Amino acid sequence: MTLRIEHLTKVYPDGTVALADVSLEVPKGQFVAVIGLSGAGKSTFLRCINRLVEPTSGRVWLGDVEVTGADPAQLRLIRRRIGMIFQQFNLVKRCSVMTNVLSGRLGYVPTLPSLLYRFRPEDLSDARANLERVGLLEKAHQRADTLSGGQQQRVGIARALMQKPELILADEPVASLDPATAHVVLDELERMNKQDGMTILCNLHFLSLARRYADRVIGLKAGRLVFDGTPDEIDDARFKEIYGEEAIRVEVA
Amino acid sequence: MSRSGLHSAFIAGVLAILPGFGHFYCREWQRGLVLLLGVPAQAAILYGVGLMWLVIPVGLVWVWSIWDAVCLARGGKCSAVVVCLLLLGVNLAAAWQVTQVHVPKLEPEQRNVIRQILLGLAKPDVAERKTQEQTAVGKYLVPGVGAPSSLTPVKRAPGEPTLKVSPTRARKGERLTVVGSGFAPNAPAEIILLGADEVVVAETKTDSRGRLSASFANPRYIPGVYYVQARISATVRGWQLSDTLKDAAPRMIETVYLALIGTALSVLVALPMSFLGARNLMSGTAVLRGVYILVRTVFTILRSVEVLIFAVIAVAAVGIGPFAGVLALAIHGIGAVGKLYSEAIESIEHGPIEAIRATGANDIQVVAYAVVPQVVPQFIAFTLYRWDINVRMATVIGLVGGGGIGYQLIQYMNLLQWRQAATAIWLIAGVVMIMDYASAVIRERIG
Ligand SMILES: Nc1ncnc2c1ncn2[C@@H]1O[C@H](COP(=O)(O)OP(=O)(O)OP(=O)(O)O)[C@@H](O)[C@H]1O
Ligand SMILES: [Mg+2]
Repeated sequence: MTLRIEHLTKVYPDGTVALADVSLEVPKGQFVAVIGLSGAGKSTFLRCINRLVEPTSGRVWLGDVEVTGADPAQLRLIRRRIGMIFQQFNLVKRCSVMTNVLSGRLGYVPTLPSLLYRFRPEDLSDARANLERVGLLEKAHQRADTLSGGQQQRVGIARALMQKPELILADEPVASLDPATAHVVLDELERMNKQDGMTILCNLHFLSLARRYADRVIGLKAGRLVFDGTPDEIDDARFKEIYGEEAIRVEVA
Repeated sequence: MSRSGLHSAFIAGVLAILPGFGHFYCREWQRGLVLLLGVPAQAAILYGVGLMWLVIPVGLVWVWSIWDAVCLARGGKCSAVVVCLLLLGVNLAAAWQVTQVHVPKLEPEQRNVIRQILLGLAKPDVAERKTQEQTAVGKYLVPGVGAPSSLTPVKRAPGEPTLKVSPTRARKGERLTVVGSGFAPNAPAEIILLGADEVVVAETKTDSRGRLSASFANPRYIPGVYYVQARISATVRGWQLSDTLKDAAPRMIETVYLALIGTALSVLVALPMSFLGARNLMSGTAVLRGVYILVRTVFTILRSVEVLIFAVIAVAAVGIGPFAGVLALAIHGIGAVGKLYSEAIESIEHGPIEAIRATGANDIQVVAYAVVPQVVPQFIAFTLYRWDINVRMATVIGLVGGGGIGYQLIQYMNLLQWRQAATAIWLIAGVVMIMDYASAVIRERIG
């Protein structure tokens, strides 16, 4: 499935134009890095795709399903296909790692059993497999807030994996992590991209990381799409265009 | 820009004779409005409570306001601190008068009551010495037709006290003497003539060696054998709960349970409502926002009406008794815990909600997985806190007929049983302190 975005615009109630007429097509299996200054509209962009933020105008298509036109029930079916990973991990701190991972399955299970925290055996074994995959099986029964930041983000990934998604939206997944841990997390995203063929849209702060992991980079500036190309196309001129005149290139190992 | 060019001090002063108008003239709208409404209102209040002499200082305020208007017209502005202090003083004086604050002159009777309560508090009636009853029986004969000619000796086990009646024969009105031994020493004793119409014929005490003696005139005239019993009640080793405590303790338990069920009922209603009263969950559409406002209004109304007022209404509706108290606590509690719950929900992290919603979960699942786990500890803490308050409230509710220890207390007081009342007060204080401590400990644990 292809992700197609047409003239996507978001104006917040206070008048802030966070996204202005962004059009884009992302073929299946691409790893796309979204870069731009703080406030450029990166988070808004990702959130408009699964409608955590309701776009003001424009359309989003996932394959041949229109996300923007979906009613609430259809929207939930679409969201199941889109995993999301957050800068602040957004785990439920007081719940166990296992419960956090299982919650990724909520879109698939009937409401009543899920309210009693009951899951099917295959969901449970899936959860264990995904925890194993991110290397945290032995932490399954710990409270989520007893884990380090990097471990919490891996739980976040396991939660997204539970959805068996076709598309991953990652909103600065490594911005709260040290460089070494950041690589562990991004390596996992890369594996999901290369091995499982998931399309990945990932907001990143550092160009070096975009270079290392992404097939394609798009640059946002004040809500507008100002760059769309491969990582090596970003030379100093392009860099200044995206990040502004005063910016100097900061590299991260 | 100097105001003197724009405003004449004279006009301002003249206008200010009507409080506020001088200020309006100088465009000092806020102070003008306060004066316009405040000065007459203050005067009216003092008139209303019949303290006309206090209007004089208010007159000073009026004078000050004219002066202030003149200053304003000249471009200055007077400080209102002195005036505010003056008004505070006036109102304190008025309040003193209205509430009849005075050094109480106590009548001897009132002094006695206070003394009794203080004595009771110093020496509450919680336990008393255990007592043991001892009895011994002797007999005598009223001779005549149908009576046996002689008496068989009374059987008794060794070590038990004995009682001897002499003489062994007596007609009505003749004096009989009873002598007993083997009783507990220094204990009050009753001499009882047994039979269908049992009578106490004499009262006495045992001596230091456990002996007693007494005499009485024989009241019986029908021939036959009569049994005389000596009954003593001796204090023995050990203590037992006092009758007061046996009366009051179940009432105290009733109060704690009353608070428990009152709290439980309010939680039952407030719990689902609180989600509808949380702004962060209800901001989606206009309908949701309307529900949110409605729920919070209900909470505010229920919370701002005092429990005692609900209690008085409930007593009128369902009669005196613990159920009236339960209703009062439950209704007021809905507002109180509901507001706390809603605020707890409003203060949760939004991130997890977003994350769960992004998985395709529906609204109910979002609440169950992202909201509930975040608020449970606070909900428990607030509920315990409410129970704690409710135990205190429940005792007061009892005073207006809501059952429990409070009702018992007011009954003791109506019967002038001051020592019992003091005991009940101790009981309340003890239980409240324990609850207070226990709920603090639990809240800390789950925090
Ligand atoms: N809920 C909101 N209401 C109003 N304005 C908002 C809201 N969320 C974001 N904005 C504004 O929209 C613009 C884009 O914000 P967004 O969070 O998408 O930027 P970003 O590129 O993700 O920045 P960062 O790198 O700091 O996360 C900013 O100017 C921000 O202030
Ligand atoms: Mg952002």
